[in-house]
Amino acid sequence: MCSSQEVLRLNLRFIVSLAWSYGFRVIFRGPSYIISSMSAPLTLLFIVSILSHGTLIDYALVGGFLGLIASVALSSSGDAAFMRLQLRFQDLYVASKVSPSDYMIGLTLSYVIFSLPGIILYAILGAIFHIFTLGAVLALIGIMCFLVVGTSSISFIVSSSIKHVRNVWGIAGIMSVIMTVLPPTFYPYEYIPKWALYALSATPVTPAAVLAQWAFGLSPPMINELYIFIIETVIYFSMARYLTRWREN
Amino acid sequence: MNGDLLMIHCENLTKKYSDGFVALNSISFDTSGRINTLIGRNGAGKTTLTRILSTQLMPTSGTATINGMDITKNVSEIRRSIVSIPQEASPLGILTAQEQVGMFLIGRGHSFRSAKEEARIALETLGLGDFRNLPADKLSGGMKRKIFVAMAIASRADTVFLDEPTTGLDPISRIEVWSAIREIDSEIFLTTHYMEEAQDLSDHVFLLEHGNIAARGSVNDLLKPFSGKVRVESRSEIPDSVKIGTMWISYVSSGDTAEYLEKGCTIKPISLDDVFISRGVEIEP
Repeated sequence: MCSSQEVLRLNLRFIVSLAWSYGFRVIFRGPSYIISSMSAPLTLLFIVSILSHGTLIDYALVGGFLGLIASVALSSSGDAAFMRLQLRFQDLYVASKVSPSDYMIGLTLSYVIFSLPGIILYAILGAIFHIFTLGAVLALIGIMCFLVVGTSSISFIVSSSIKHVRNVWGIAGIMSVIMTVLPPTFYPYEYIPKWALYALSATPVTPAAVLAQWAFGLSPPMINELYIFIIETVIYFSMARYLTRWREN
Repeated sequence: MNGDLLMIHCENLTKKYSDGFVALNSISFDTSGRINTLIGRNGAGKTTLTRILSTQLMPTSGTATINGMDITKNVSEIRRSIVSIPQEASPLGILTAQEQVGMFLIGRGHSFRSAKEEARIALETLGLGDFRNLPADKLSGGMKRKIFVAMAIASRADTVFLDEPTTGLDPISRIEVWSAIREIDSEIFLTTHYMEEAQDLSDHVFLLEHGNIAARGSVNDLLKPFSGKVRVESRSEIPDSVKIGTMWISYVSSGDTAEYLEKGCTIKPISLDDVFISRGVEIEP
């Protein structure tokens, strides 16, 4: 029998190993995926800048960080479902010491690593356009951490309920667009009515965008979105941890 | 691991899916010997049984133990002592064989260094030493399957479940994987629909049919009813035969083949295939 200390060490090793293998290795061996993940946020940055004659470029840059990490995490539901249904990768680990939390956190971290090239590119653009202050950067890092937990959890919940491989990429694509482009990620949240803002707050990207715009001094504060963000992140993570199918019935 | 060979014990194990399909119908058995093989047609319930025993799927009713541990009550203990290689498991194409086996071992509690070393040894044992640092999508089908066998070898688990490990492989790759399976120093529970595989590897065979154990025993036990007989295949009806597709099949004494040869029938030696085929044919003693 392993002591709890050993179990903790084992879990962390597996998490690091999965994150490193599925995140870092992909950056070097499949660079087209990196470009693909950056293409949508960069395209939106370009469109928003052109249509607003540059007035909303700060919004689009701040939103780009969130859009990038959220779209990678949300489209990863396709990956997770494909790995479960087609490659039987998850089955391999169900009958082992690996817990659903280890697996989920490992995959989530791999998406964070996978997003790093895009985040670096946005950081360079942000520096060029002088949008950063120390406080705003720290707030953005915190927001992105919560966002990746929330969106990855949604991904994991959705991926575990997909039953056929043929639906995998369609559902992942729909989720990624609806949950990252529709919310006020790339435009000021004041542009949409309150009811729509609250409706869109079902996706963690909305409160994340509101808080980021607040932190960068682009829009007025909205404290309710902070509570919504924290509560729904905890709820989504708990649902992913306890409601998704690991051992099937 | 227990000193005795009672590896798996099942009692009235039943699996009924939500759509009403009964995949396992109250089966009971004990395994015997080191390599136990479950044979059966597609949809017979082989994968369902393997997934239940390896704690991936809950049974509807009944009990099962692995080395004395209950599959519903001692899940963590069982998971520490088994490895289960799923049917049609495929390696991640972007990772190398070394990385995949290493990651699997880390998941089982190895340190980074030990996982790397054990993965290297297992892959070299299976003849993949020169290919271990290539991304898996550059490897042949046989090599990809061997990655999973390497996981089983390196894990040194008490019990290994292999669900149709050679499905879809060419004959050479199949033989390579069989050799690899023999290298696993654990109790093995194998499922297959290749009779040659069961015949070549097994100490004990179970024939699963529509969720029931239809026959069981050593390969010799199962072939005993066919002693002194051969298989006759014909395109037209022959006495005491069963029709499979457009072919009529019968079993006759090896001394009575002349008349069948004259009729243009094909005569074949008996193999474990015939345990399957003969379901529905009366074999005269």
